[in-house]
Amino acid sequence: MRPQVILHSFGYLTQAAGTTLAISLAGIAFGFLIGAAVCAARLSSQTWLRRLGGAYVSVFRGVPLLVLLLFIYYFLAKFGLDIPALAAAVGGLALSTGAYQSEILRGAFNALPRGQAEAAAALGFPGPEIWRRILLPQALRISVPPLINEFILILKASSLVSVVGIAELTRVSMNIASLTYRPLEAYVGGGVFYLAINLCVAGFGAIAERRLAAGGAR
Amino acid sequence: MKTIETIGLTRREALKTGLAATAAAGGLLGAGRAAWADTLADIKSRGELVAATEMQFPPFDISDNGAYKGVDRELVDAVAKELGVKVSYLDLPWTSVLPGLEAKKFDLCIAPVTITKERMKRYAFSVPIADATAALMKRADDKSIAKPEDIAGKTVGGQKGTSQLEQLKAFAAKLPKPVDVKEYVDNNQSYADLAAGRIDASVNSLPNLAYAAAQRSDAFAVVLPAFGQPTYFSWVGRLEDKTLLDAINVAIVKLDGDGTMAAIQKKWFGQTMDLPTTVPEPSI
Repeated sequence: MRPQVILHSFGYLTQAAGTTLAISLAGIAFGFLIGAAVCAARLSSQTWLRRLGGAYVSVFRGVPLLVLLLFIYYFLAKFGLDIPALAAAVGGLALSTGAYQSEILRGAFNALPRGQAEAAAALGFPGPEIWRRILLPQALRISVPPLINEFILILKASSLVSVVGIAELTRVSMNIASLTYRPLEAYVGGGVFYLAINLCVAGFGAIAERRLAAGGAR
Repeated sequence: MKTIETIGLTRREALKTGLAATAAAGGLLGAGRAAWADTLADIKSRGELVAATEMQFPPFDISDNGAYKGVDRELVDAVAKELGVKVSYLDLPWTSVLPGLEAKKFDLCIAPVTITKERMKRYAFSVPIADATAALMKRADDKSIAKPEDIAGKTVGGQKGTSQLEQLKAFAAKLPKPVDVKEYVDNNQSYADLAAGRIDASVNSLPNLAYAAAQRSDAFAVVLPAFGQPTYFSWVGRLEDKTLLDAINVAIVKLDGDGTMAAIQKKWFGQTMDLPTTVPEPSI
């Protein structure tokens, strides 16, 4: 081990960690919007919407993220759709995690006892109010731990976006390994950054969980 | 409750946001670039050559704290100067480089590619930019290997899909004892396993190995002479971009003649090498 290798490349690794974080957060945020929309579709009373949502989940959960990224960046280009690397990276992550997030949200809604909505309706709550005041707060609380899980998975899976030419953390660690011929130091350096980022995400998750629990205190 | 209401979405809102996101995605998709008529004319009107390589192939392509360096960098800068344009560089994993070229994501692949018969059918090669003859590297303290033939009965690693690995297999077949050939995704893993003692030698082109051994003389040593048939590295373009390749070849031959090429070789390989000034017939 020669720790100087990591120290020498510290700025380079920090920059790459920033790229990993930015791309992952953008992917997670867009993915949440997609997930919410797909979940709404799957819980809809309209059959065609439910089927559409189901089809989305099947396709984007079934296709590996790597294949999805290659498809968006290289295959679509053959048909004249030249998507920039950054858009392909964020889009690929969002489309993929959207499918998973929609299922996390759907599971949370399904976990709520049906009687609650019926009781609220009997008490005279209008439909949107039942959603806003009774179902959504509880569903979000249930989905926080699995969502944080999914966010951490996406942060780590974001190493795949290097196939569209983005210098994220894993890619940069590989660059350092090939430059210095010291792979061990380079990958330990990259690993420490991933760990630091993910501990922060887990920390935010714990805070979110506590605050949601406090809000729901009876 | 406040927190929840701010993140919360009603079903209708969620649906609306979803539709907006879809529309935005559609806008991105629509922003396609028109197909290029002539790549050379397009490069000149843009004033920029877009070149791609994998920056993990020292001494040809290196990313030193984010700065692109190496033989290819200096050579492509000089070539672009001849063409009167600037260069922008893309760092792609090797598996993405040739698909990206075909998908027209960039103009030219400046990763050193060994000229082979099979590749000639699919890509247009420039005149050679470096020697690519296959050689071996061993651990510096390994006294059991003095010449290439000494790998008989030992384990040798190399990068999968490279012509150097194919040359190794052909060479090993003629040795008295079988050689156990291990295939790696890239050369750096083969070097790492060599240092760790899992394999006895690594195969790659002589310039790559000479550079690696010079950087880590404590760990590695090159086994001389090179065992492979003489082969060369070239840059690669699309078959239909003949005008671009012709212009690049003229520039490379000029740099070969005026001493620029020799200066780059001296700097990165520690020695100069004679290169053919036409695209050679591949021997493998």
